[in-house]
Amino acid sequence: MESFRSLTVTQRDQILVEQQVFDIFKTFYNLPPSSQSFMLELQRENHVEYLTKGLTGLGPSFCVLDANRPWICYWILHSIALLDEFVDPELEDNTIDFLSRCQMPHLATTYAAVNSLVTLGGEKALSSINREKLYMFLRQMKDASGGFRMHDGGEIDVRACYTAISVASLLNILDDELVQNVGNYILSCQTYEGGISGEPGSEAHGGYTFCGLATMILINEVDSLDLSGLTDWVVFRQGVEGGFQGRTNKLVDGCYSFWQGGIFALLKRLNSTKEVKPIPLGDGEGSGEESPQTTTSSDAAGEEGLNGDLSLGGSHSEIGDQHNTSSQDNVIDIDHNHSKGHANVEPLFNSLALQQYILLCSQELNGGLRDKPGKSRDHYHTCYCLSGLSVCQRSWLEDEDSPPLPRAVLGPYSNLLEPIHPLYNVVLDRYREAYEFFTKS
Amino acid sequence: MHGRPRKAPKPEEEAASVAKAQKLHALQTQFFSFHHNKIYTKEAVELSAKLLEINPESYTAWNYRKLAVEHYLSQPDCNPDWIKSFLDDELRVVENALRQNFKSYGAWHHRKWVISKGHSSIDNELRLLDKFQKADSRNFHAWNYRRFVAESMKRSEQDELKYTEDMIYKNFSNYSAWHNRSVLLSALFEKKAEGFLSKEKVLPEEYEFIHQAIFTDPDDQSGWFYHLWLLDQTVTTDSPLLASSWPGHGYDVFLVEDRCYNGSAFSPFTALHSDSGSFPIVLYFNQPVGGVSSSTVTVECGFNKNEDLLWKPLSASNSQTARVWVAHLKIPSSDLLSTVEVSVGHSKGIISTRGFEYSHPSMFSFKVHVQPMERDFSQVSVAESISLREENFKIYGSQSEESIINSFNQLSIKNGHESTASNWRSEALAKEIECFRELLSLMDCKIGKLTLARLLMAYDVMSYPFANKLVHSEEVLELCSDLMKLDPTHYQYYKDEHSMVLLQKVTSSKESLLQHCFQYKDSVSSAICGPICLRLNNLSLSRMGAFEKLLWVQMLDLSHNELQSIEGLEAMQLLSCLSLRNNKLRSLTALEPLRKLKLLRVLDISYNQIGDHSIDTTRYLCSSPLSHSVGSESNKDETVTSDVALIDNWEAFYIFKDFNLNQLEIVGNTIADEKFKSVLVKIMPKLKQLDGKLLG
Repeated sequence: MESFRSLTVTQRDQILVEQQVFDIFKTFYNLPPSSQSFMLELQRENHVEYLTKGLTGLGPSFCVLDANRPWICYWILHSIALLDEFVDPELEDNTIDFLSRCQMPHLATTYAAVNSLVTLGGEKALSSINREKLYMFLRQMKDASGGFRMHDGGEIDVRACYTAISVASLLNILDDELVQNVGNYILSCQTYEGGISGEPGSEAHGGYTFCGLATMILINEVDSLDLSGLTDWVVFRQGVEGGFQGRTNKLVDGCYSFWQGGIFALLKRLNSTKEVKPIPLGDGEGSGEESPQTTTSSDAAGEEGLNGDLSLGGSHSEIGDQHNTSSQDNVIDIDHNHSKGHANVEPLFNSLALQQYILLCSQELNGGLRDKPGKSRDHYHTCYCLSGLSVCQRSWLEDEDSPPLPRAVLGPYSNLLEPIHPLYNVVLDRYREAYEFFTKS
Repeated sequence: MHGRPRKAPKPEEEAASVAKAQKLHALQTQFFSFHHNKIYTKEAVELSAKLLEINPESYTAWNYRKLAVEHYLSQPDCNPDWIKSFLDDELRVVENALRQNFKSYGAWHHRKWVISKGHSSIDNELRLLDKFQKADSRNFHAWNYRRFVAESMKRSEQDELKYTEDMIYKNFSNYSAWHNRSVLLSALFEKKAEGFLSKEKVLPEEYEFIHQAIFTDPDDQSGWFYHLWLLDQTVTTDSPLLASSWPGHGYDVFLVEDRCYNGSAFSPFTALHSDSGSFPIVLYFNQPVGGVSSSTVTVECGFNKNEDLLWKPLSASNSQTARVWVAHLKIPSSDLLSTVEVSVGHSKGIISTRGFEYSHPSMFSFKVHVQPMERDFSQVSVAESISLREENFKIYGSQSEESIINSFNQLSIKNGHESTASNWRSEALAKEIECFRELLSLMDCKIGKLTLARLLMAYDVMSYPFANKLVHSEEVLELCSDLMKLDPTHYQYYKDEHSMVLLQKVTSSKESLLQHCFQYKDSVSSAICGPICLRLNNLSLSRMGAFEKLLWVQMLDLSHNELQSIEGLEAMQLLSCLSLRNNKLRSLTALEPLRKLKLLRVLDISYNQIGDHSIDTTRYLCSSPLSHSVGSESNKDETVTSDVALIDNWEAFYIFKDFNLNQLEIVGNTIADEKFKSVLVKIMPKLKQLDGKLLG
């Protein structure tokens, strides 16, 4: 009989990533406090510079992503908004023109374009959205089964459902026709692991779990999901590195800071309303938001981030311990004490450990964020690492309108990002403006 | 751009990139012109292929190619060979696009479309998949496509099972392969394929298989999920069962007019005071079911017609499936002693959410005694005021002990149909338990401990009907406590498990349950009054459970725990008096389960955290009372929309409007200021006492 080889390729890759990450942590913990606080600083100016450059020069090298220009717009604009910066008015005008011209008959790009316009805000941007036409398009994409197709003749999956429902909800055009049977489709995608897969039969995945959960909340059917199973699954997707993996036994990836982290922001709100059944754990919080991983693009992201981790509480932790006992333990201790000191509300995940991963491992000091050490920055990861960071910083917070305590924000308090609306992943203020606008009109 | 390095471009690179963009632009322009003019010449079709090789995500080009294929297939001179070669070309274009980006949604989708035309060879597809799955064994597009191909080509599940085995031997950390294994086995079980007729033979082999992975490296997470799936397959019976009911089999139910009936012949456990003219029959299933109605459940009794009974699901959502179902029998006004027979599932129609039919028809019967009633309830209830304070309780059992215990014996719910646990299931569990004890003796492993705890609990629950006690509960509690210390990050999770096990333990035997049964006596009159009060206070419970054994409870004290949620409490239909004092409830909506308790008259939610958090998170669910389903319900009620105070407190309105409370304690919550209390009085005009003050 064959037998199992003990060090699998997966395990080797995981160990390599852990070594890289723990080396960074070790260096960090051996530094004097002043340098530590420098390392933990969010390089706002550099990020803004990187992002603005990206927007101005959506240059020729991006041509492959042509169909995904709205996505790049969204990733950049949303990141800039999270950093509380503004776009130069002329550039803003051009972007609005571009977005309202693109009218691409594809749900994912529609979502990106709508979120971009909402993020830009203002009369011109918001009124450039033709809601009647958009509604007709959504109806056309609705399949008889209840799910949505990504585009005419395209695939039906959870992403498509989320982008359609999110856009409709944000624009206040969600009605029974659109909602009908979407819930059943999402339900058919929840696996025994607890998470949600892209289509029936597939394995649970962070991006889809976010999309599925957000959709169920938006259509008010979240109760029919197995929320305890879902919570159980997502809790164990955070690894020893501090970051999240997207699926069972994959490598950590910064973009899941949002996809998985955003799930906690959603669960936290549900928890206080409905109570998550199995794990009424303290409840996570954070005003994170979620984003759909909707990209169609090649880069697309997100799709799989690779994250390995220690899910189930311990895998590989020994390895971690051997290599850097002190740092790993520190992370956990810090977090634990913090949470104890605070209003009985513990997030469901280790928020400080995730912030540490984002700032030390995902951040490039000269601007932009990335998947993991050794990978290059890009706008997708910049957007979702920052979104995730915003979620974390508010993970102890119950009230969106008051700022979090300094100890909830890792690094200098100036790291604090704008809060987001976790169902749509747009900055909360912009959501409110859009909400007002579309409720009135 | 996932993982593709991007450095600052050098000038010559920039120039090249500009040239490339121009070329693409020209291609696109030409392509759209062909597309709009419906030109499907060879040249035009080839151009679209070029475009897709550069940008596999250009979905318009994929759609154009579909149109082109349809165009040629509809030609009169079209023959099968030609079709095949045409479609093969199509597959080649997809393959090139996938080489460019093997995560391209558009390309995989197009391939499915071509294959579904049914002219292509399965072997080619499997070869291609092998190539992609070798390059990235976790690519979920490839796995999805594999399932699609296997299904549309009718490849047997057994062959695919073998494939997952090969993948697992190559890399047992490949969770995608384990996952597909569970999908395939489920399909085989469902089909009752040969060799998969019973789980009895298959599951032990799967356990063996997974042990290899777990013992090779207990820290590898892939195996654990699969193990959890196996455990679920072992424990869960496919067809739903009736776990318990109220009244239970053989009960003598006394319907009395007055709460103070001590000294009479009534058992305090089964005497029920009802001021609503009806009493509930509750069915508690072991999993959520739908289809409970007067045609699937027959109730025969002298004083109600079966077809008049309306069965309602008790679930938080408005779904038509639930574990718990309730119907109400009307109480006749005259003296009565009648036997009620309830048959469940003798005709088909009760179906679990997973689609399995209720297949163990069962029957239970009980007696109902009705005392002559003087129907002047208002007078009786005005005087009563219940205060669940320590001094008002007396532990059960000092007087008339024997009769109490006798009546208590009635409660041990042992429906004969419950014990269908097959031997192989408990044997499989016993074997797993042994195996994990061994693992833990070799190394310290958190997930191993958690699994052992789950196994022990599952074993106890399965053998409970025979052993009538939970043999391992102490050990499980210890494991949970241990895990709380070892793995503080997931502290709350283990704490919840701990709470559930503790509740199972408390409710598992007569002796342990009696220790929590108290008699309530009025401090003023010192009369011993009313039903038994079950006191589960001060147990640091973070979660409530074991409802199936507590359906008889009318007074429940859950004070001084750490509950944030009371989900599931809606099953306790007889509750008339409930204390949740000193817990961690954080919002009014957490009280939702109580809306379903029609007999609830006294509620204590004082000293919780309701209102501590200024933003109620429901606003993300329902941004205003006038949108979404919850709001539209209240919208119909004119009193709401016309009253500004109520609109501001629509959540309180939503929760409390259905309550029928006499007495409410809400002091000690941030929300409970004078203004809020005046709103409550408006919402509940029948309320007689609020925070100890009589209302005029």
